[in-house]
Amino acid sequence: MSDLKHAVKEMIIQRLKLEGMTPDQIDDQAPLFGDGLGLDSIDALELVLGIEQTFGVKIEDEAAGMKAFRNVESLAAYIAEHKPTA
Amino acid sequence: MEVMDQLPHRFPFLMVDRVLERVPGVRVRALKLVSHTEPFLQGHLPGRPVVPGVLLLEMLAQAGAFLEAEPLGDTPIFLAQVLEARFRRPAFPGDALDLEVVPEASFGGLQRLQGTVRRGDEVLCTARLLLKKGSPLEVAP
Repeated sequence: MSDLKHAVKEMIIQRLKLEGMTPDQIDDQAPLFGDGLGLDSIDALELVLGIEQTFGVKIEDEAAGMKAFRNVESLAAYIAEHKPTA
Repeated sequence: MEVMDQLPHRFPFLMVDRVLERVPGVRVRALKLVSHTEPFLQGHLPGRPVVPGVLLLEMLAQAGAFLEAEPLGDTPIFLAQVLEARFRRPAFPGDALDLEVVPEASFGGLQRLQGTVRRGDEVLCTARLLLKKGSPLEVAP
């Protein structure tokens, strides 16, 4: 799970071009949107595409997004739960 | 569908004259006729009228509103991001501009699209835009 969280952080940094940021600087519990990482709604689409392309997991709708996008921990949990079984 | 039913824009900022093809969620082609009487040509540029490049992006964004299947009513669409834009040739008064938009991805009221402005077979502008449905001031997801 901690590997997955690390991979999630790397994906966020890469997709949203958070230059100068490292995975270690992102707290598992910090809110992704608003205070915390400071993402805004425009970043949501980029995140959805990043999750789909990196982890093969689709965020179906806004309700699923709201739940998954709370913080890195919830996003990793969502990915783990919906990941296609190899 | 009437252009003004889908777009809240009015003179001098309504930049779609007719919708030529409309398959919601798949592809839209629309027409913008540029005339010598466009207010923006008065100052851009005196004696040398050229359609400003940013207005070609606005035309594509307005055409993008027709990708929505539902009438937008009081939920207008705003330009949220310009991801790429390339202006290959200028547009002049008298041009019939063919605006083509194709969606790339969408989520939660956001739609990313690819747009092309053509004059006949000539490509004048290509762009990738992000449109947002709703108020431009809403920032929370």
